[in-house]
Amino acid sequence: MRLSFIRPISCCAVSSPTTLVKPQTPLFLRPPTFKTTLTDLKKWHLWAKSLASSVGSAFLNLDNGPDSNQLLRELNWLIEDAIGTPKSILEQPHKSRNGNSTVLIRTCLDELYVLWKQRVEERRPFQYVVGCEHWRDLVLSVQEGVLIPRPETELIVDLVDEAIKENEELRDGLWGDLGTGSGALAIGIARILGSKGRVIATDLSPVATAVASYNVQRYDLEEKVHVKQGSWFEPLRDNEGEFVGLVSNPPYIPSKDIGGLQAEVGRHEPRLALDGGASGMNDLIHLCDGAVSMLKPGGFFAFETNGDEQSKFLVHYIETKKQGSFSKVKMVSDFAGIQRFITGFRGR
Amino acid sequence: MEGMIQSSVPQYSKPFHSLATMARSVPNPRIIAMHRRRHRIPQLTSHSFLPFISSSPTGSTVSFATPEVGVSNTETPEWAMQDFYTLRKDVETVLERVEEIRAAAGLKQLQEDLAALEAAATDSALWDNRATAQETLQALTDCKDKLKLLHDFKTQADDAETIIKLTEEMESIDSALLQEASGIIKELNKALDRFELTQLLSGPYDKEAAVITITAGAGGTDAQDWADMLLRMYVRWGEKQRYETKVVEKSVGEEAGIKSATIEIEGRYAYGYLSGEKGTHRIVRQSPFNAKGLRQTSFSGVEVMPLLPEDSTDVEIPEEDLDISFTRAGGKGGQNVNKVETAVRITHIPTGVAVRCTEERTQLANKIKALSRLKAKLLVIAEEQRACEIKQIRGNAVKAEWGQQIRNYVFHPYKLVKDVRTAYETSDITSVMDGELDPFIKAYLKHKYSMTANPSGLS
Repeated sequence: MRLSFIRPISCCAVSSPTTLVKPQTPLFLRPPTFKTTLTDLKKWHLWAKSLASSVGSAFLNLDNGPDSNQLLRELNWLIEDAIGTPKSILEQPHKSRNGNSTVLIRTCLDELYVLWKQRVEERRPFQYVVGCEHWRDLVLSVQEGVLIPRPETELIVDLVDEAIKENEELRDGLWGDLGTGSGALAIGIARILGSKGRVIATDLSPVATAVASYNVQRYDLEEKVHVKQGSWFEPLRDNEGEFVGLVSNPPYIPSKDIGGLQAEVGRHEPRLALDGGASGMNDLIHLCDGAVSMLKPGGFFAFETNGDEQSKFLVHYIETKKQGSFSKVKMVSDFAGIQRFITGFRGR
Repeated sequence: MEGMIQSSVPQYSKPFHSLATMARSVPNPRIIAMHRRRHRIPQLTSHSFLPFISSSPTGSTVSFATPEVGVSNTETPEWAMQDFYTLRKDVETVLERVEEIRAAAGLKQLQEDLAALEAAATDSALWDNRATAQETLQALTDCKDKLKLLHDFKTQADDAETIIKLTEEMESIDSALLQEASGIIKELNKALDRFELTQLLSGPYDKEAAVITITAGAGGTDAQDWADMLLRMYVRWGEKQRYETKVVEKSVGEEAGIKSATIEIEGRYAYGYLSGEKGTHRIVRQSPFNAKGLRQTSFSGVEVMPLLPEDSTDVEIPEEDLDISFTRAGGKGGQNVNKVETAVRITHIPTGVAVRCTEERTQLANKIKALSRLKAKLLVIAEEQRACEIKQIRGNAVKAEWGQQIRNYVFHPYKLVKDVRTAYETSDITSVMDGELDPFIKAYLKHKYSMTANPSGLS
């Protein structure tokens, strides 16, 4: 078996670049119809481990990328997703007599070589490699062209949950998720709403709306979540003033910073979802402005920002430029202690 | 070659026992079958057998070559008379041992318990309380298992005894049968050892699966390599016990070895066996990472916790007592970073007891898992300190107990593994590193048992 990688004649298509609007099925949901032998799989595993180990802390020093340990952990998860049989078979080095036994995998072995090479050498994000991201208690499908939901953003669902618990009227109202991407926030919120609660999720990107719709469907939430294509509030004009809540994780990275981002982000994730203009705040300000007319009195909002400075600026902006429109506006920290979110209520 | 006897017994003086005493109970059907099968094969007659033996000259190899038999079984080794006597002695010993164990295990009491539990299990009110119902059923299963085990011991010992008596009856040596008896005895003794050990495991969590966390101590690459050696040792031990052994987390060192690793070992009594492994393990060797090959001492910490079923930890820890920190990859976070860094560390503020969980794919999942590990750890500590509740745990004592140096592994200038607590030692360091930990575990359990039974031994 190869130790150096030679691109083989592939028996299955390598994941296509961004333009496909048909959502891709995450690896773990594909049927385990490919066969390989335990010996060949172990060879791949060994090769993949050594490729991961060879990275050391090079990426970390270069652009705060993953180190070997993180890559090795990802490799375990790739195996978890790719393999039809329990992955512990790889951990039994002493049973060589099973070497020829068949192992069922969800993509061909050659594709596994391609995928891991893409992960390490091209810095393709792990979540695109396996086609999914574990987020809160959800497993969301993601692919090139859709922002991979971040762990920080999980907190927005908790903030919504708190707001709902304080004011039960919010539970059965209409919510908006602006720039939904994979649909993470819309789905997370829909699952804590009451039977009458609804979410409209918007995104400008057709890939994002396709993927979000697919995720909504996977969680059987078609009745609760409507995905609409369009820029920010545009698809919501019919519902002006009806929203009890708005959430968003809009692009907020200043344009000048995009070039210096970690390769996984800068080279592979959609710029549309990252670049917030010169100050990074173009879209955040647009959202604050729009929220005034979209929210019902007493309605709640929570927006994610690039952190401390942006959050402070926005709170100040709302207090001075939107005087009287909102109440209880505050900043909320993420788990790293960065003031990541601003939340508040539409004045009554 | 069947029918070959190598004997160093100078004189065969003791005749075989008469058959009158044989087979008081119904023998193993398989043995009866074998018995019958034996009789179909042309055999040495008792007439030719005894006189030949008794006239055998000293020390010489007596060949019972019976060419007409034509049955050659090359797979079973040849049996000497002396081997037979040794075997007979072994069978007698094991029979006594089985009786002792059956008595000590409270066979009568167990049968009474079984009747009571069976009655409770068939009671129509059983499922009124789900939790107690589960408990009752578990107790019933345990009781049945134990009785079955005790019964199996007896059956196996009887089987071996039957073979001995059969051999005496037939007054001929059947290597295959004796080999079987020898195998039974060997396996039975192992099972009895295990059973005795299990008797020492009566702690509330001893039956559970275990989580082992290994952390390299200070000392750089050498300590990290040592942690990796310990990881391998425990994985091998787990495999030898046929436990399901999973390395769920491993953080590799920069040059060699590991910074830390977590193993989950699933199987009955995994925690009970391993609980005594917690503490600091010390290695002394010529470091392979030291150009001058100087003697170096390194340490690694081992923590062992029971892996408790999700719903069994009904401990409530107030939120304000917990310090939960999430590892974040640094930098600006949010959209700027994409690292699958999901590690969660939870510290129980009043006691300072901390756990870390990194293997799950979301922080939420790691938090849940970490919390359950923390609860397990606190429960174990509470039990060790004989505290009724978590609140009574003396935090400062935890650090001392859990970090105590428990074992030395000396590779150089001589080879020795020695347990500090039990003084058990062996020079076979290779086997130990290959997972031969049972003697250490057993010694510790006995030590612990004698400490509890006889607290005056504590000084």
